[in-house]
Amino acid sequence: MSNFSLSSRSVKDVAVITPRGYINDIGAVRLEQESGQYLDNGLKKLVVDFSDVQFINTIGLSIFLSIVQNTQDHGSQLCFTNMKKDHLEIFEIAGLIGHVKVFKDENAAFTYLNGRTPDGKKTASQTTAV
Amino acid sequence: MLTSSLSEEAFFGRQDELSSLYKRALRAEQGASRSVVLAGPRGIGKTEILRHLFGRLFWTQERVFPFLFTFNPALLSVAAFSKAYLSAFLCQRLAFEKREQALLYRDGISIDALSGLIEEREVAWAREILFQFLQCSRDPVEALRIALAAPHRSMLSTKIPVAVLIDDFHLVGRLHMDGVPDHRLSHLFEEPLGHGKTPHMITGNMAELQEMLVTSGLERFPVRPLGLEGTSSLAQYVMKRCETEGNVPPLLLRRLDGNPFYLERVLARAGEKNHPVEQDFWNAYLREITDGALSLYWKKVFKSFFPDLGLRRVALETIHKINHASEDLPVQRIVKSFARSDSQAQDIVHNLYLAGFINGEFGAFRKVEDAVLRDLIDCLYQREILEKAAREVERDILESIIARREQAVRFELVLPMAREAELVAAQSLEQIGKNLNLSQETVGQMQIAVIEACINALEHSGGMGDQVYVSIAVDEDQLEVSVESAGREFIMQETGEPFRDQEAVKASGRGWGIKLIKRFVDQVTFEKTARGTKIVLIKKLERPAGIQKEDIVNRE
Repeated sequence: MSNFSLSSRSVKDVAVITPRGYINDIGAVRLEQESGQYLDNGLKKLVVDFSDVQFINTIGLSIFLSIVQNTQDHGSQLCFTNMKKDHLEIFEIAGLIGHVKVFKDENAAFTYLNGRTPDGKKTASQTTAV
Repeated sequence: MLTSSLSEEAFFGRQDELSSLYKRALRAEQGASRSVVLAGPRGIGKTEILRHLFGRLFWTQERVFPFLFTFNPALLSVAAFSKAYLSAFLCQRLAFEKREQALLYRDGISIDALSGLIEEREVAWAREILFQFLQCSRDPVEALRIALAAPHRSMLSTKIPVAVLIDDFHLVGRLHMDGVPDHRLSHLFEEPLGHGKTPHMITGNMAELQEMLVTSGLERFPVRPLGLEGTSSLAQYVMKRCETEGNVPPLLLRRLDGNPFYLERVLARAGEKNHPVEQDFWNAYLREITDGALSLYWKKVFKSFFPDLGLRRVALETIHKINHASEDLPVQRIVKSFARSDSQAQDIVHNLYLAGFINGEFGAFRKVEDAVLRDLIDCLYQREILEKAAREVERDILESIIARREQAVRFELVLPMAREAELVAAQSLEQIGKNLNLSQETVGQMQIAVIEACINALEHSGGMGDQVYVSIAVDEDQLEVSVESAGREFIMQETGEPFRDQEAVKASGRGWGIKLIKRFVDQVTFEKTARGTKIVLIKKLERPAGIQKEDIVNRE
């Protein structure tokens, strides 16, 4: 049984990817592939939900660079949500935080990206960046 | 002495503090700077920070004039103090005009010589202040007022603000007139302390400063123990200076707790040996607390507060009792224990508190957090009161330190060189944390560090062994995890460059591991062992909340 799993869904023009467990090299590569597929299919908005991520190691972190780079190459937007404080610090150490938008939860990310929550309700168009 | 005894290269772990105070000084230009007290225990580096700040302000900018003054215990009569203060101010101010180093060292300059300098340079405002000061030779209080107001008056005349840096400020309470201390004299500092264009940055014995009304409203600027980087840099510097190298035992580093004075003394003594090993470091520590510089320093403090030998003995017994009590001791218990009157006991504990040997408030007292000081007191007690031989004392002290360590709860894991084996260590930590009621934050951060350490060990064993040994120890105030494996040294270089070029940063990504570890733990050391290499990670556990008399408020 693996310590990592991944699910994703798309909500209109936003892809939400939810990794779970331990993001090491294998997990990060799967994330990279999953996000790559969405980007190649033309989606310009990606949200990665960290609420079920337990650990990230620096090998996985280095592969996140590819995800960020790929997103930028596609002219797309990348948002992270539900990050624990320690995970945020890990990404800060890598200097990645400046290249993504970080939000408290999916609603906030959707508000930023679309002006609407994932269930389609309008919200005030404010970002609540962490 | 105005300049630091430490060169820039030897001044470790204080750049943040220095930068913050430097900016505070420069804000005096807008009149927006407030006076502040640098707060911290003895030996933590407050004086060095002030001296380095003076150097930086004096040599690298022109917007604010720095004035550094250290109270001299031999010059506490109002008349002598006023003269010394004003002379020092005027000399340093004149030196600042053209950055004349020689003028900075004119301690004890006569009034005539000073007057001559002022006339020669035609500094009208200085002439006027000096004239008024001399007019008040029969009114020492007024003379003091004039001296203390000199920075503000110079600012008004020259439009250049002044950062007034004062060391050993606690001695202000001992200013006297004709041998009679007069606490009201310290109130004359109130007005100078309040000017936004002449902020005062003061330091001294914290216990005494806290009892002074004149400093009670001032912001506190905490000077904390050196962190991981500062400690490590200082240790390397001292070893290099001694032209040797060696691994400082983590338990000893923890005991020295980032105090630069303690670190420098103990490591310098250990460094006298060629390639000191663990026992040599411990021997150096024991030497320092029995008859080395550390011991001499604290004995001097002790004698200054308890000049009478008989009383000193009672004081020593009192500290020992407080240090070994399981709870705070009220004064009444001390009165009973030593058959002293209430007032005698009050005096003794009050002086012990002011000297920094004990902590306490509201009539109850407890041991200080400074483990080195507690060891030193134990040594002194055993030598002076129990009359034990030096060797026996040293052995007992060391055994008690090791025994406390051995009271730690320990868990040992042996991980195979298998994929994701590091998760076993991380999950074990989680369960240990739950069992021992550790904070989730502490455990979470240690888990991140341990994962990296295990990956490092697994990657760099170089095929020389097939196991990684993880040891987890928890005692009353720290969580310690060591990760040991066969093979060459861990990769210790750091990169952590911000993301720019993908390929370059990917290649450097592995260097983040050590950076991450250092971010999430309080202390990390690397050791060569019989098995190979070991990394030791330490996180301090939060102390129980209690009333802290030193109310550390704010720092920029």
